[in-house]
Amino acid sequence: MASPYVTGEPNRPESYGAANRDIIRVLLKPTVAYFVGLSIAIAMLLWGAWCEYQQLTWGMGVSGYAPPVMWGVYIVTFVFWVGIGHAGTLISAILYLVRSRWRTGVYRASEAMTVFAVLTALLFPVLHLGRAWQAYWFFPYPNQRQLWMNFKSPLMWDVFAISTYFTVSAIFFYIGLMPDIAIFRDHSRGLVKKVYGLLALGWRGTNRQWHHYMAAYGFFAAFAAPLVLSVHSVVSWDFAMAPTAGWHSTIFPPYFVAGAIFSGCAMVISLLLPMTYLFKWEPYVNIWHFENLAKMCLLTSGILTYAYGTEYFIAWYSQNPYEQAIFFWRATGEYAWAFWLMVFCNCVAPLVWYSKKMRTNPVSLFVVAAIINVGMWFERFNIIVSSLAHNFDPATWTYYWPTWIEWGVLIGSAGWFFMWFLLFVKTFPAVAITEIKEMIAAPVKGHLENSR
Amino acid sequence: MSAPAPAAPGVRIKAVYNHLDLLLTGVDRLKRAGFTGWQVQAPCPRHEIEEAVYEGRPSPVRWWTLTGAIVGLTTGFLLTSLTHAQWPMINPGGKPTVAIVPFAVIMFECTILFGSLATFLGMILHCGLPSFFLDKALQDPRVTDESFTIVFTRANPADEGRITELLQKSGAVEVTTGDDTVYEVPNAV
Repeated sequence: MASPYVTGEPNRPESYGAANRDIIRVLLKPTVAYFVGLSIAIAMLLWGAWCEYQQLTWGMGVSGYAPPVMWGVYIVTFVFWVGIGHAGTLISAILYLVRSRWRTGVYRASEAMTVFAVLTALLFPVLHLGRAWQAYWFFPYPNQRQLWMNFKSPLMWDVFAISTYFTVSAIFFYIGLMPDIAIFRDHSRGLVKKVYGLLALGWRGTNRQWHHYMAAYGFFAAFAAPLVLSVHSVVSWDFAMAPTAGWHSTIFPPYFVAGAIFSGCAMVISLLLPMTYLFKWEPYVNIWHFENLAKMCLLTSGILTYAYGTEYFIAWYSQNPYEQAIFFWRATGEYAWAFWLMVFCNCVAPLVWYSKKMRTNPVSLFVVAAIINVGMWFERFNIIVSSLAHNFDPATWTYYWPTWIEWGVLIGSAGWFFMWFLLFVKTFPAVAITEIKEMIAAPVKGHLENSR
Repeated sequence: MSAPAPAAPGVRIKAVYNHLDLLLTGVDRLKRAGFTGWQVQAPCPRHEIEEAVYEGRPSPVRWWTLTGAIVGLTTGFLLTSLTHAQWPMINPGGKPTVAIVPFAVIMFECTILFGSLATFLGMILHCGLPSFFLDKALQDPRVTDESFTIVFTRANPADEGRITELLQKSGAVEVTTGDDTVYEVPNAV
């Protein structure tokens, strides 16, 4: 099914003004469903905050961390949220550079998802520290011992990669929003108008503004495209640079990047499907977009399945006993259920989308996307926890399972993410009005006179 | 409607168009007649307007991008190598004190970060943002809706008649001068 406004089918916006009016509808009084969603998100966040308070009060002992598993749920969830943050920039930057038409309807919400997912991910290194008040040690500054950061450490690379990614994504997101906030400003009054006016920086759509704006937007997209590929590569090096069996692999960067895009696209489906129906965005975001997202998931699911297979092949072909042992144990040991859950969610469940009927069915899209989100969390759990729990010294082998405090913080992080997303979609243009206008034909009278 | 801004030297003239081709006709005729000092407003970026106004001249924002990227690359190299040269005890894995391969990651990230920040700064400066105090004639809410405009904020009063006639004949739906160019409607949802 092609996009209605690309093919000119019935529900194409008739004019620039119609596009404005359709999107501005989200500013109307929120529905009960919206308040229920927002209340659940805030409740989840408060529960997470309570659990974190317990951890700060009593120390890391309340979590399940114990040698040799000193990287647990917090690092798993950090990688999960960073991964979620990848689809937005992929859709907004890479698909912009390749002039993909289907990105227009969904890119703004995906970008918002990216910014809020990275904002969520940024919490986890701090939570993982235990002594959260020493988080400033992350940053490169000469301290009183003159002991600077080790720039040869992948953890230091990660600080740079994630903070750069957050900064660039946030700026890219903001400059994309600016002309649309100006539309909201011109359709509101009083204090709200003043706030939108400030955020739009007085945008008036002059030729001077559009000229430099479009140049800058292109450069941002060109910067963001390699950045998105680099960020999860750097995250993967947090593991691959260590000699730990099951981690020390050169396939990690492409494997992690594919996984990140896979989970991110699934999260876009999970978030936008309900929003589309809740806010009546059907003329702009419809099944055609979701089908394309499902195709992205299918592609990346194939890459992931290949990567899972390659890991086993390398373990066998290298004849390294530690590698062979860890991969054998992952599939047959105490965490086998998590491994097979991951395989089912990431390799098997998405296969239903090879059927066009299934990838154009909202129920199938929502259910499979939710399964993928679960599967991708367990992928990181498998990689991180199983390799540490069965490290080189059998005397230290253990079974790690998160405590209720860790689960609480995980739930709280989801609440934090959904709260920001819900607040955003209700107060800002979550569908890119200006880009929708670019997609529809400009109003013409057929009198073009050109002397040049 | 709030009070119009104090009169600028010269006269304000504004033409509002509902059609892109008519706007381009107006721009073309203004150029042929040799008038300068006008601005075009549009609800979204259109390459036709870009070509008519800038005739292929690129935006200088690209120089900000390049400069920022070079400064970022250099900063990344200096931060990592000088830090390690000052404290050479940190020597994991027998790597050289100044090891380009691991530092390349930091250099890459700094290139992107500084390049992006410089691009943002360049865009803000060249766009003239924040532009809260633009001429009142340019603060027309119809532009963010579906109208195009051509605005003179300081036209030569002697040319007022000629410009007005030219814009009217090009197909503008409304041509106003002086304080009539200020348009504000409380069209809240």
